[in-house]
Amino acid sequence: MADSLLSGFRALDLTDEKGFVCGKILAALGVEAIKIEKPGGDPARGIPPFLHNTPDPEKSLYWYAFNTDKRSITLNLELSQGQDLFRKLVEKADFVLESFAPGYMDSLGLGYEALKRVNPRTIMTSVTSFGQKGPYTQYKGSELIASAMGGVLLTTGDPDRPPVREGPDSIYFHAGAAAALGTILAHHHRQITGEGQQVDVSLQGVVASRTFTNLVIWEFKKSLIKRSGYVRKIGARATRWIWQCKDGYVFWAFMPGKFGAPANRVLSKWIDEDGLENPLNKVTNWDDFDLTAISREELDAHERAIAKFFMSHTKKEIAEEGLKRGLNATSIDSPPDVLENRQLEARGYWVDLEHPKSDSTLMYPKQFFLCNQTENFVKRRAPLIGEHNEDIYVKELGLSSTEIATLKKTGVI
Amino acid sequence: MEKQALAGVKVVDFGWALVGSFTGKNLGDHGAQVVRVESSTRPDLTRMDRTVSTTKGLDDNPMFTHFNTSKYSMALDLKHPRAREVVDRLIRWGDVVNANFTPGTLSKLGFGYEYIRGIKPDIIMAEGSAYGQTGPLAQEWGVDGTGAALSGYLHLTGWPDRGPVAPNLPYSDVVLPLFIVTAIVAALDYKRRTGKGQYIDASMIEVCCHQITPALLDWEANRHLQTRNGNRIAYAAPHGIFPCQGDDRWCAIAVFTDGEWEAFCHAIGDPPWTKEPRFATLNSRKENEDSLEELVSEWTKQHSAEEVMKIMQAVGVPAGVVQTVQDLLEHDPQLKEREFLVPLKHPVMGVFGHPTPPYKLLKTKAQVRTSPCLGEHTEYVCTEFLGMSHEEFAELSAQGVFR
Repeated sequence: MADSLLSGFRALDLTDEKGFVCGKILAALGVEAIKIEKPGGDPARGIPPFLHNTPDPEKSLYWYAFNTDKRSITLNLELSQGQDLFRKLVEKADFVLESFAPGYMDSLGLGYEALKRVNPRTIMTSVTSFGQKGPYTQYKGSELIASAMGGVLLTTGDPDRPPVREGPDSIYFHAGAAAALGTILAHHHRQITGEGQQVDVSLQGVVASRTFTNLVIWEFKKSLIKRSGYVRKIGARATRWIWQCKDGYVFWAFMPGKFGAPANRVLSKWIDEDGLENPLNKVTNWDDFDLTAISREELDAHERAIAKFFMSHTKKEIAEEGLKRGLNATSIDSPPDVLENRQLEARGYWVDLEHPKSDSTLMYPKQFFLCNQTENFVKRRAPLIGEHNEDIYVKELGLSSTEIATLKKTGVI
Repeated sequence: MEKQALAGVKVVDFGWALVGSFTGKNLGDHGAQVVRVESSTRPDLTRMDRTVSTTKGLDDNPMFTHFNTSKYSMALDLKHPRAREVVDRLIRWGDVVNANFTPGTLSKLGFGYEYIRGIKPDIIMAEGSAYGQTGPLAQEWGVDGTGAALSGYLHLTGWPDRGPVAPNLPYSDVVLPLFIVTAIVAALDYKRRTGKGQYIDASMIEVCCHQITPALLDWEANRHLQTRNGNRIAYAAPHGIFPCQGDDRWCAIAVFTDGEWEAFCHAIGDPPWTKEPRFATLNSRKENEDSLEELVSEWTKQHSAEEVMKIMQAVGVPAGVVQTVQDLLEHDPQLKEREFLVPLKHPVMGVFGHPTPPYKLLKTKAQVRTSPCLGEHTEYVCTEFLGMSHEEFAELSAQGVFR
């Protein structure tokens, strides 16, 4: 088997759901990631959905999804013996990932300054709701709160209803990617200079980093972009993005000018072929077509005709036939559709992983990107609670079975 | 100047639009020397956006700035017959090549990976695209929304009784570059240890599908089809956006634990309804979520969004104002503390806010410089970085290579 980009490095992963993705990415890149859970298991193992809909800390599919390739040990960091063991592990750790409230690690004597004394090379990456310092640092947060405070939520949803969140765990995923990047940048510096450091990631800051188009419009034109449903407003340009079809929805951007012209021509021709009413065929020069220069009535007539066209086709027809014609439309895929995407399949995107709690294997996304010299893949299922206690505590730290028994009895592991 | 994480790293940056530009920015903000190769014959989309800039110029667009800080700009017409002389020298100079044209475009121009590796065998080259460099759909058109549609993200966003909706902001375009830069920097470290270069092929769809893995597993294991669910999630209640005083003002509240529920009830004055059995447990609150949300709204409506947030946070309940970008820029003390935007002077647009990365390296801090005007550093790059003589530069310039 080929190397991975970061084979040979080790991370201690103390995060909850705010930070899972960071360790998942590092692990796919070859870092040996050890999840450190409270005795009894990480509370995030309570997040649904569950395997066979059975709530059980060993059956959280959410937990499975974002903790692949990690090993697990249990350790109570609030007991002094637990802290001693943790310091021992830090001696050999290249990375420590955590997502506790700022100050909590300090209160245990395990903050960055303390860990630096144990291992000056270590990099501590902290993913928190608002960041390590500042007036909101102790505020509690979550994905929804970060989306609200970061300025994305207000721009999402139907105008006649409250703002609505992005459905998947988009913000935790984004924050995890930002945290992994910060960690790798610090790693690069450490490998050259020997100097570790702390990386401070704020969920709110990550969300706010997406608001640039709207920020600029406020800063320069004092105008606020809010939510507009299926119409996408990027800058001054409003583009209808989402259309209902026979059996679902499709994504097709009704765009002006040269950028939209090829697809607009294809669409107009297709509507004609279908024998539907087609006001679009009155447009003589699509290259100069300007959505802001035509009247509201004209635009409505165009959109009505397009909407009718899409409603007369299935999403598969739109996607497949549209591909041949150059319509630039794609289906809005559901999870089962995603699993059948032929491009993903052709690129070997899926990996089947077994799990002791499941009688059949489950398919997971395998790669974040492909490299020609290294393999950076999801390879192993998420661990059971404390599955690797023996590997780490006995084989590596050399604790005897009597010592292990005592640690278990006193609730340390 | 303080030391930066990528000091000494040299990047030849063919990146453009959002994905490519943002990739280069993340490298440049951390100290890499990023030479953005661009041309007035095919200017960047964000240089031409007329949302804010009022001229036909290419140097007065703050949207371009947001994605192109801390770079050098070299004007170079890649289709010019003598462009190769300059590109070859750039590649010899560089450690990293970044690009995100439609797959195949660079090869057609004669500057594909095989060519580049021929000049510099240990080069690290990254190409970002919608579908990836291989596979039946590699050459297809794709934008931010393509990633959102094909990854399941749009399917899952919106209200249960309505169609999908999208934020008026990008997602895929901002997230993909973070993975590309992660791959590049990890590859730099790998090269330092092994001497080997790397070709990195990053697909927007492949990155974006990871986020819905729980929904994929839910389908595979349970045949449960997840769909749009408004602001509700299975493990918290109340969990939503509640109306407050003022026009289109809202506060998000998220109650996960029993302790948070008790604190929440206390904070709103323990009205009798909070003691009703139908709200006693998470499960019962989930079953009666419509009524619960109505009752919470009745309370939030009597307060400003800021008051609701402060009252909740004072007792440890997660809550946050649904902020506008005006709030982010003018009122939010936390983003200010984190230097979300730093005021910098741009030669054409004057002083305005430039974004810093939201992940902060506390020792080797990001240092942001304003974005370059098109071709601002062409001569500097040629003579200082590539070692061209002034005569040579003048000769190539007269041939129209640098435009």
